[in-house]
Amino acid sequence: MVPSPVLRRHPDDSWTLAAPRKVSPRTQRVLLALADAIIPASPRTETTLEDVTRHALVCLQYMPQSSARLFLVGMRLLNWAPLWRLRGLRPLTRLSRDKARRHLIAVTQSRWLPVRLSMYGPLGLFMSTYFDQDYAHRAIDYDPVPFIEARIELRRKWVEGVEPEAEEEIHHLPVVPR
Amino acid sequence: MTILAHRDYRNGQTFDAEVVVVGTGAGGAVAGAELAEAGRDVLFVEEGGYHPTSSLNPYLTESLPRLYRDAGGTIIMGRPPIPYAEGRCVGGSTLVNGGMTWRPPERVLMEWESLVGQPDLGAKALEPFFDRVEERIHAKPQHPVSVGEDSRLLEEGARRLGWRYEHNRRAQDRCVGSNQCLTGCPTGAKQSTLLNYMPRALSFGARCLTEVRIQKLWIEGGRCVGVMGKAVNPRTRQCDIDVRVRSRAVVVSCGAVQTPYLLLGHRVGRPSRQIGKNFLCHPNAKVVAIYPFDIHAWQGVSQGGQIREFLDEGIVMAENAIPPGTAAAQIPFLGEEALELMKQYNGMAMTGVLVDDSHAGTVTRSFDAPLAKYSITAYDHERFLRGVRRLAMLHFEMGAKQVVLPFSNMHIANSIDDLDQIERTQRSRSTIELFTVHLMGTCRMGGNRRSSVVNLQGELWDLPGCYVADASLFPTAVGVNPQVTIMALATMVAQRLELPN
Repeated sequence: MVPSPVLRRHPDDSWTLAAPRKVSPRTQRVLLALADAIIPASPRTETTLEDVTRHALVCLQYMPQSSARLFLVGMRLLNWAPLWRLRGLRPLTRLSRDKARRHLIAVTQSRWLPVRLSMYGPLGLFMSTYFDQDYAHRAIDYDPVPFIEARIELRRKWVEGVEPEAEEEIHHLPVVPR
Repeated sequence: MTILAHRDYRNGQTFDAEVVVVGTGAGGAVAGAELAEAGRDVLFVEEGGYHPTSSLNPYLTESLPRLYRDAGGTIIMGRPPIPYAEGRCVGGSTLVNGGMTWRPPERVLMEWESLVGQPDLGAKALEPFFDRVEERIHAKPQHPVSVGEDSRLLEEGARRLGWRYEHNRRAQDRCVGSNQCLTGCPTGAKQSTLLNYMPRALSFGARCLTEVRIQKLWIEGGRCVGVMGKAVNPRTRQCDIDVRVRSRAVVVSCGAVQTPYLLLGHRVGRPSRQIGKNFLCHPNAKVVAIYPFDIHAWQGVSQGGQIREFLDEGIVMAENAIPPGTAAAQIPFLGEEALELMKQYNGMAMTGVLVDDSHAGTVTRSFDAPLAKYSITAYDHERFLRGVRRLAMLHFEMGAKQVVLPFSNMHIANSIDDLDQIERTQRSRSTIELFTVHLMGTCRMGGNRRSSVVNLQGELWDLPGCYVADASLFPTAVGVNPQVTIMALATMVAQRLELPN
């Protein structure tokens, strides 16, 4: 029998998402500043920064304690990137978004692997969360749910014995360019 | 069906079973189902949760913590560091992989036969196991209705360049190409162990404990007689309830990183000291092409086929569409620059170069988690440069306007001429960006106790009653997607498992 999925963002399968990891207000400020510098300034909602950092803190709960602690220490170090890059005395939390972003871009492009490595975590967590939101999907013209629903219906009919026809094939180009 | 979760356990509770199987992925589910079908009382223990098909959705913020180990934040340390992904849920990695069902090339099985010194791991001996597995998981080519434009572009590009392109056989039953393999197939087409082996095992009376992390083997009188662990509170993520399982045999199927981590907590594997050694991972490099027209790579099967022209060099190329969240995390830009690139998501073809391992890394215990270490060799690096260049060339041949390369100091190629700079700029192994999903080979199977961890029954040489059935058994890398090989070996281990009187 074909299941009938609901494709809801928060499915009700009696599984509980972890509460966000508790961190100090200072660490919270660092995470907010990093998220603000990493994700696009628009589109956002009023709660985008809080949502993105809260999801990062939820994800940390699924990691080993040592990895989660290391991540948070890394974020505190990253906050002082201007100092250890010898480009300023103020941490990212005291800089404007654009200035903070310039520092982080430089870290991302550093020739030193351990320096670049410090951006893996925040880039992965904040970007993947941001680009998973409906408003970000709209900005990039990505809307998977109607397509998936149509494919589920197609498979339902197939399981009932109706073989898909050629017009059900997925085509966006008239022909593959030659 | 008996599937228990954290809320169902009492502190100090002990379950009894004939065989306890730790893990429900390609190894554990298959071994457990075979044993249950043979009349054994089987109890599965799974660290992750049970998520039925009806709960699967395309949202990463939900699926990463629900389905992936460490919410996808796992990494192999080395030069370069390699992020990896593996499943942590009922179904294991089979729930979140592409479902490819390639058998190992003949040269690999000949090498295995020669290394082991017995015919057991040769092509002829393994054939009935492969046949059995492929029938059960419906290993079949894709129906044309499921194939997307990115697969067609790659196939056409390979044809123009005279390269061999082969369509994938996948574990699927009437796949319609919803392209949600990585977040769990919401149509029920992909035949993960959640949909075939686990229900089969449960229908034969097996039980499954979910949300329990096994921390120790239970050893008495030199024999493994069960496992001990703790249930993980889903809200706080604290291990707060002691759970034990007493059994006549234990099958460890936690994957090539977690299995050695569990075993290394005991004084086992002494004859060869090979536990955690021989760690192999098929590193991949991502090559993202941006076309001036929409191809909607997120529609259609996640991987329709592979370019296998360079298999003899240990290089395989394929497309693999990923959700925008994952794509954005891998592109080298921040803020508005990232958004501008992501606005071309519908024109992106996400492809990759897989390189067969030429040497091995290690898995050891470190604090509260395993530490995987692996560095690519100069030979691997050279093959990556060759593979990335060829794949980028194919995209330009097909009309791509830009290609995002996996090099930290050279991310963008705007024309085929830019590719000439690859050899000049890529002198260091530290600048290449890799990832992987194929983890193998840390408890190798063999016929000699001095060079292998488990014997040809899958039992540890120096711990009777403890069996291994997952990708850690591989003596060498398979060079292709490992799912059916894991399943075939797990079938073999289950059929050879002997219980004490």
